[in-house]
Amino acid sequence: MANATDVFTITIRKRSWWFWALAGLWLLLEVLILQTALASARESEYRAAAISWIAAIVLAAAGVFAWLRRGQPRRPSESRGQQ
Amino acid sequence: MEERRKQIGRRSLLKASGIVAASGAFGSLWALVAGAGTSAKARKRARWIRSVGRPTLGETTTEYKRFSGNDIFTIYRQLKDQRDGAGSFEAEQASKAKRLAAWTAEKKPGYSLPDRQLSEGGFTVMHSAKPGSGLLSWTRPAAPTAEESLPQRYIASPEEMANTVKAAARLYGAGLVGIAPMNEAYVNLQVPHREPPRKDHPEKDASQKNQHPMVQRQEREHPSGEHSLAPHRDGEHQIGERGKDQLQTVQPPQDKDIVFEDTDVPAVTDAKFVIPRKMKWVVAIAIPMDLDLLSRAPTALGDAAAALGYSHSAFVVASLAVFIRGLGYEAIPCVNDTAQSIPFAVDAGIGELSRLNKLVTPEFGAAVRLCKVFTDLPMALDKPVDFGLVEFCKTCRKCAEACPSRALSFDDEPSFKTRGPWNNPGHKAWFEDSYKCYEYWQKTGTGCGVCLTSCPYTKGDQAWVHEAVKATASIAPAADGVFRVMDNAFGYGKQHDPEQWWTKDHSDRRG
Repeated sequence: MANATDVFTITIRKRSWWFWALAGLWLLLEVLILQTALASARESEYRAAAISWIAAIVLAAAGVFAWLRRGQPRRPSESRGQQ
Repeated sequence: MEERRKQIGRRSLLKASGIVAASGAFGSLWALVAGAGTSAKARKRARWIRSVGRPTLGETTTEYKRFSGNDIFTIYRQLKDQRDGAGSFEAEQASKAKRLAAWTAEKKPGYSLPDRQLSEGGFTVMHSAKPGSGLLSWTRPAAPTAEESLPQRYIASPEEMANTVKAAARLYGAGLVGIAPMNEAYVNLQVPHREPPRKDHPEKDASQKNQHPMVQRQEREHPSGEHSLAPHRDGEHQIGERGKDQLQTVQPPQDKDIVFEDTDVPAVTDAKFVIPRKMKWVVAIAIPMDLDLLSRAPTALGDAAAALGYSHSAFVVASLAVFIRGLGYEAIPCVNDTAQSIPFAVDAGIGELSRLNKLVTPEFGAAVRLCKVFTDLPMALDKPVDFGLVEFCKTCRKCAEACPSRALSFDDEPSFKTRGPWNNPGHKAWFEDSYKCYEYWQKTGTGCGVCLTSCPYTKGDQAWVHEAVKATASIAPAADGVFRVMDNAFGYGKQHDPEQWWTKDHSDRRG
């Protein structure tokens, strides 16, 4: 339980432009692979569908991990001004 | 300092990932930008299919002349007897018939009675499409009486005429339509007459039982012992009556020359087929085959895809010929007969000549049947196309590796070297050994088609990624090898289980 005297610092960090570009590409790829997985199953291409599902899951996990990892506060030693 | 390096390293890694992702996504973006929405219904083609001045493959020399018109079905019969001794063809047919009957009796997947009859049903329209008569009549059904007159000629610009004809062809069922100039060198010298089964030669007649419909009449044996006689594809007229062994056979015509003359209307006489020289336009048409069925080849189910393709072709060209005649012009509808369909389709920009020595289209790959209509209706011409296929074929070779009879060329480059009398010399191509191909048909008892489905361009139209890959391959041949490896890794082009076709949900299938 925090005391009334505790001081909290909320840091709002702006994500760089290339991170958003990467996120956009990630989303595009994710949609493409998911669509391939669904369409391949409809076309009776079951191996392609299975591979696409695995790729979609791995890519989704990687994306979520990257998003969370970038959202974590940096340790002081990681800051640019504290070499 | 070390921490700083670590941070940069992580950032670099993320940026590198971005570049990789960008290159992967590039294809889909390019496909979207290039208008890759080429569903079967789309009229405008994707921009990555470039119009070019001349075909990418198939250049001709002075040696290129009109072909005899004898296809492999005729040539094989002659060569088989030459190579393996007199009577070997008949013996092979008898053996095949026996094998097929046994497979049907034991309900071998892909050869059960429903499988085989699916193919027979599919051929129904094509069976009544004989060059120059019936559905494929070269002339109007009846000459106009004194009170009647020929329909008023529809006049419009060549571009409008082309659009009108293409719209009609699409409505009738064409997957792709293009307009090519008439080239007399592509027209066969003759319409060959196929020898009918002889009633006075029971052994020979028996040997032709259950043969592929492309070659001979099929006599279907039902488990009940009933016989029903399917009409022959061409060369004869037969009336089938279930439960009866009687045939009414009209004497077939002999080989007839196909000639070009300065006449007003096409004609079919006892001696020849006459094409008026004023017929300077050819409507080249590609009919997509059912890929789901074709992927079950080589079986009777795979045959059903080809059978339907032929019947659809006959229906489309017959309907289009009536439409054109109604506009006040002449029309000659043809399926495989009368002329070589592939060069007309190449000239009309429907696709490119491939390692298969067959046409591959950007939209449907190799899973198409070709047909054409000759006409004197003036239309704007289309140009050949380049979508990077020839370069892709040089790298790929998947069809040649998939071919069960090793009939396709493994050569790095196309050449002028033909491989038998079934090839028309004087043009550049990857020539195939049709004898080996057709010999394999005798073993399977049906047609094959493995090469058609193995082609990486032969894909369903539902997954966007295929469009992305094709679009990228059209501008980046360096990626062809990767696409070929990926195609294998994803398991494309493999035979699907024939048995599963019947248990699939067909409720969303449209005729």
